[in-house]
Amino acid sequence: MKAFFTVLSVLLVGVLASEEYCYDDVVRACKTTNKLSTSPINCTAKYGAIDGVEEYLQKYVNHHFIRSFEYLLMSTHYANYEKNRLGFEKLFRGLSDETWHDAIELIQYITKRGGEMNFQTVSNDIISEEQQDANFELYELQSIAKALDIEKKLAVEAHRIHGEATRKNSKFHDPEISSHLEHEFMPKHRDTIRKLAGYTSDLSTLLNGPDSSLSLYLFDEYLQKQ
Amino acid sequence: MKSIIAATLLVCFFAVTSSELQCEHTQLDIPKEWKDMAYPCISKMRSQVEEELKAAMQYMAMGAHFSKDTVNRPGFAKFFFKAASEEREHAIKIISYLLMRGELTSKVSDLIKKKCKLLIILTPRLTSWANGVSALKDALRLEAFVTRKIRDIIAVCESNPTQFNDYHLVDYLTADFLGEQYHGQRDLAGKISTLEKLMGQHGPLGEFLFDKKLLNDEL
Repeated sequence: MKAFFTVLSVLLVGVLASEEYCYDDVVRACKTTNKLSTSPINCTAKYGAIDGVEEYLQKYVNHHFIRSFEYLLMSTHYANYEKNRLGFEKLFRGLSDETWHDAIELIQYITKRGGEMNFQTVSNDIISEEQQDANFELYELQSIAKALDIEKKLAVEAHRIHGEATRKNSKFHDPEISSHLEHEFMPKHRDTIRKLAGYTSDLSTLLNGPDSSLSLYLFDEYLQKQ
Repeated sequence: MKSIIAATLLVCFFAVTSSELQCEHTQLDIPKEWKDMAYPCISKMRSQVEEELKAAMQYMAMGAHFSKDTVNRPGFAKFFFKAASEEREHAIKIISYLLMRGELTSKVSDLIKKKCKLLIILTPRLTSWANGVSALKDALRLEAFVTRKIRDIIAVCESNPTQFNDYHLVDYLTADFLGEQYHGQRDLAGKISTLEKLMGQHGPLGEFLFDKKLLNDEL
């Protein structure tokens, strides 16, 4: 019995001691008499699942930047004199600004968890999208449809990262990452998707009517006030 | 025979009565004499949008670097993130100007979407810096580069003898854009000077103090 407890306590001490990377490094660094020794100490902000999901978060940031620029193109298209739809311009400019600021916040979040940003990593889906010369000069209903699809892609990607951080494996269970996504991104996505879907419903009934041109003008006026 | 005729009539009936959404509008007939920007000038302005967005992403990389826990300079990070958003605003200003002059009615997607151009914009050239002062120096070089680009646009839009001397655009670029560039460059040069002198004897301490001043908008 005694032997069991001593073995257990030794193991416990061993486990706890192995988790004191920073302290051990600091003790080692402070012991050196050579003042110019600059071996780095292993005291980072990394804990939990950040290593497992860092790459997904980096890709998510880059996807936000890409979508921000795409929305900017759509907004530009509606602001030219031929389309002249200030409501649609405002809608897409708002989406562009939102994705831009979300990307900055995500970069700050990644670094807060001890990670770093990599601007070169994107998903294969995005790469194949980029390899085609896409068209962002669309008609009204088509552009809102495209925006809805983009927002759903962003929302589902957040769900995937959430899943990566909450696997049952103890190495990957990280409620902080999942709760950050749950609070900062998911409600926003839900509301935007609902809003855009509502617009598509409205527009498709309006465009089915006798005076689609007047309907579009009035709908654009409505969007200017949102 | 009769059943075939009946079937075809039925199909035609449905084709005629099935509702189709009127998503597209008729071709417009707007006079074009008011659009007087010269083609080389338009082309230069369009490419400037890409340059401004590239500068924005370069500042974003600087902000990301200084946000890291191993670097830990929140003042620098805040300064560079703000600069990134400002560069994006410049790109939007250029787009707005082109729209005002009646441009960007076609090939809007080509502004930044032609074959992987977006992925190129997204990847900044530099992604890490040894210390804050080297990042500020790179920022100053970046601003000088953008200033030269703006001056190139002015040169093309102003003095191309066979085309049109675009007084308003040149005036707008000179006053708004160049003015902001020169003020920004002076500000950066001053900061570099202060920081280098602060770091003279006590490198990390000087940078630490400077960072906190940047964070609290004291500079």
